[in-house]
Parts: sequence; C-alpha cells; structure tokens
Amino acid sequence: MKLSTAEYFLHEVAISLRRKNLMSFASIGTVAVSLFVLGVFLILVLNFNRLAGTLESQVQISVYFNDEATAAKQREVASAIQGMQGISSIHYVSRAEAMERLRERLGDQKYLLDSLEDENPLPDSLEIVVKRPDMVETAAKAISKMEGVEEAKYGQDVIEHLFDITRLVRIFGLALMVLLAAATIFIIANTIRLTVFARRKEIAIMKYVGATDWFIRWPFILEGMVLGLIGGILAAIALRSFYAAMAAKIYSTLTFFPLMPQYPFMNYVAVAIILSGMIIGTIGSAISLKRFLQV
Amino acid sequence: MIHMQGITKIYEDNGAMALNNINVDIEAGEFVFIVGASGSGKSSFIRLLFREVLPSEGVLIVNGMDVPNLKKNEVPAFRRTLGVIFQDYRLLPDKTVYENVAFAMQVIEAPRRLIQRSVNSVLDVVGLQDKYKAFPSQLSGGEQQRVAIARAIVNRPSLVIADEPTGNLDPETSWDIMDIFHRINQSGTTIVMATHDKHIVDTMRRRVIAIEDGNIVRDEQRGGYGYEA
Repeated sequence: MKLSTAEYFLHEVAISLRRKNLMSFASIGTVAVSLFVLGVFLILVLNFNRLAGTLESQVQISVYFNDEATAAKQREVASAIQGMQGISSIHYVSRAEAMERLRERLGDQKYLLDSLEDENPLPDSLEIVVKRPDMVETAAKAISKMEGVEEAKYGQDVIEHLFDITRLVRIFGLALMVLLAAATIFIIANTIRLTVFARRKEIAIMKYVGATDWFIRWPFILEGMVLGLIGGILAAIALRSFYAAMAAKIYSTLTFFPLMPQYPFMNYVAVAIILSGMIIGTIGSAISLKRFLQV
Repeated sequence: MIHMQGITKIYEDNGAMALNNINVDIEAGEFVFIVGASGSGKSSFIRLLFREVLPSEGVLIVNGMDVPNLKKNEVPAFRRTLGVIFQDYRLLPDKTVYENVAFAMQVIEAPRRLIQRSVNSVLDVVGLQDKYKAFPSQLSGGEQQRVAIARAIVNRPSLVIADEPTGNLDPETSWDIMDIFHRINQSGTTIVMATHDKHIVDTMRRRVIAIEDGNIVRDEQRGGYGYEA
C-alpha cells in the first residue's frame, strides 16, 4: 500500500468518526463496556485457575500424633509413610515448631497465647505432600489407621469445591463472553452500515472511476478496527484500576488468596483485551460490508 | 473501440426487453449521439457500456475488453479506461472542486505529484481553474457539470460516456458543455452521448444512432435528431 493511499484511508476514517460523533461514541462505549466485562471474567478465571493450581500443588496431609506416640513410634510411622506410593515429601514438625508457627501467624494477637503460660497443647506432626491430588484420600485413610496417629487431615473438599467454582466461572464467563462479543459485533456492524449508507454516492463514484474492491473496503474495515481499538484501550484502562482496587481489597482481607501479581499479568490482559477489540471491530465491519456494500 | 453483436438486454426483475439484438460498431475517435424517447432502451445502451448492467445475450467488446466475461477483479481496470458523466453531475458535496476531481485519481492510487499536475490541467480544460476551492453548492449547474467532466477525463480515458449531460442545463450553458466535449473529442477521445437535445444534435451533425423500442432504427453519419422535439 502506498503511503499516500494509507494517508487517504486514515483521513477518511477520521472524517467518518467525526461526522457520526454520537454514533461513534455509542459504539465505542458499547465496545468498551463489553470488553471490560470480558476482561473481568478473564481476570477471574485466570485467578481461580491460579488458586486451584496453588492449592493443588499443596495437597498436603497433616498427620497428628497422639500423646502416647514415642519418638521411636513416630519414626516408625514416618518410615512406613515413606514406603507408601505417591509420597513426594515428608516433613517433621515438632510441637515446639508448631507453636512457633502459630505465634507467627497470630502476629499482633500472639498475646492470646500468654494464658497458656508454658503449656503447649499442640501435638507433634508430619506434613506429607503427595504427588497427585487424587492420591490424597487413600493415603490419608491408610495413615490414620496407623498406630500412634491421632488423625490425618487433608483439604480435598476445599479443592473440589474450588474446582467446581472455577468450572462454573469458566463456563458462565465463556457464555457471557460469546454473547457480549456477538452484541459488540452487531453494534459495530450497524455503525459501519450507517457509514456505508452515508457514503453510497462516494462508493458509486469510486466504482465508476475504477477503484478496486479492496480500496473501497479498506476505510470501512479500518473504521471498525479503530472503534474496537479505542473501546479496547478504554476497557484496558478501566480494568487496570479495577484490578488494583480488587487486589487492595483482597490483600487486606483474604490474605491467603494467591492473587496474580498486577505486573506483568495486567499487561497481558490489556493486550488481550485491545486485540479482541480490534478483531471484534474488524469482524463487525466485514459482516456489514458483506451485506451492504455491493462492490 | 466498441463492438456490439446480437446484444439483447432483458431485465430479470420485470422481464422487460430493453434492447433487442443490437449490432453496432463505434470506432476510436468518433463522436456519437444516442437518441430516442424515454424507455426506448437508450439508457440501457449507455449503461451496458460501463458495465452498470450486463447484457442478457450477445458479444460486447469495449476498449478491447470482453465486458460480460470480465472477472470481478478485472472490472476496476476496465473502468479506468472510461470516463462516465451523468445528468445529475454526481459530485461529492463536502469536497471542493479540486478534491472532487483529485478523488478520481486518489482512488486509483495515482502518485500525488501526478494528481496535482493532472487536476490543474483538466480544470484548465473545463475553465474552472479559478474556482478550484469552491464547493459544488457554490457553483451553477453548468459549472458543476464541468467539474464532473473534469473528473471523467482526469485519468485520460480513451472513451467518454455521457448520459444526458445537458439534461438539466439551459441552452446557452449546454453549448458551453458541448464545446468542451468537442475539444475533448478533437484530442482523440471517443465520445458516446445519450441526449434529448434536438438542437444540439441537429447543429453538431455527428453520427446519430436512434433507438426505438429496443431496436436501432437509424444509424447515420452526420445525422440529425430526426424527431420533433
């Protein structure tokens, strides 16, 4: 494409956007809102995925010894567990260490432990990490039957709930994304249709003097692309603030939640949203041209 | 230049036969008037020439190209060999005189320098060089038609097709327009012009093709209008 031609196209797009001020504004707004919602779901799905992944990699069984278990007994249990299939690591946590951890976790509120004086009610325990989440249940059952073991706890329920939630968010989000994308494409197609209508004289003259089909189509395609691009940029900016606010909220309340760090994560999201905007815009104008521009 | 052999045009939507087995040859450099009443098929004849409509039957060669069998992507190249002028000028109201003419070159991606040079030169030919900044609404009908002519010839077509170019103009202005056509023809460009204007046809004494009910009823060199206007 020649430079003067590219210039001509951009000029045409600028004129068209300016001429249909309100309509352009409405379509950019719709694109921005749709892409924003799309982005919110993208962020949710990715974060749930990460949470599930983090928890999954931490499928661990906590094995608490009862008071009767001697050090020798404890070693016996540990080596028995070591011999089981699918165990990836075993870590011994003494009651003193457990108390230390508790103190740390309580932080400012560790004075609560003062009333215990020097008593330590916590048991010795083993932290066992298994190789695959589906092995947790069998392993935990077997271990809890061993002599000297009070109980073997694991978080399988939580993980399964989380998987269910993630799946729901994913399905619901996908359905909503498809709907919103379709709506946005429709809006853009309609905007472009108005442009085609407003310019039907020009189009006719272009045909008479021998402009190629693609030369006639390009400004319209570009216009759709630009509508999508601007909408995408607005949505990306809004998403950035949204995520910053959400992160602040979550860090202060749900401290355990392994949120995607804002950078570079939000850069990827922004790129994805802006690209989606441009693709949606292009599809919208292509559909419109196919229906309304007989070249 | 133009070769029509057994051309028949039937409009599919209403089944009307506009042209019936037309045979015509027009040579390069000719100046031809197409005359006939409204609904005679004159308009279809003109529209076939720039592929606005396709013939239902027959052979149609224009500027060496087999018009009905052009592939879709060959049509633009074909249209670049012609200039088309309409009764209603068809100028773009939000573009100036200069831009209206330059538009015809921009859309075929001509280099900017060539555009400048060619537009100035054709505005000179039609006598509008001092009105290049005006918008169509600021011009008289005759001036608007001159802009349309400038646009039609700026890409140096070998054939100019004009459909009732003086239909909206008073007699005096019409003669200005015909003078421009005459000069364009003198420079070697073929002109095919549909018209109702008896006075112009009778005065200019060029080849006249008369169409009635879809048939060519007369084709004479240096002919007259032949009807009472």
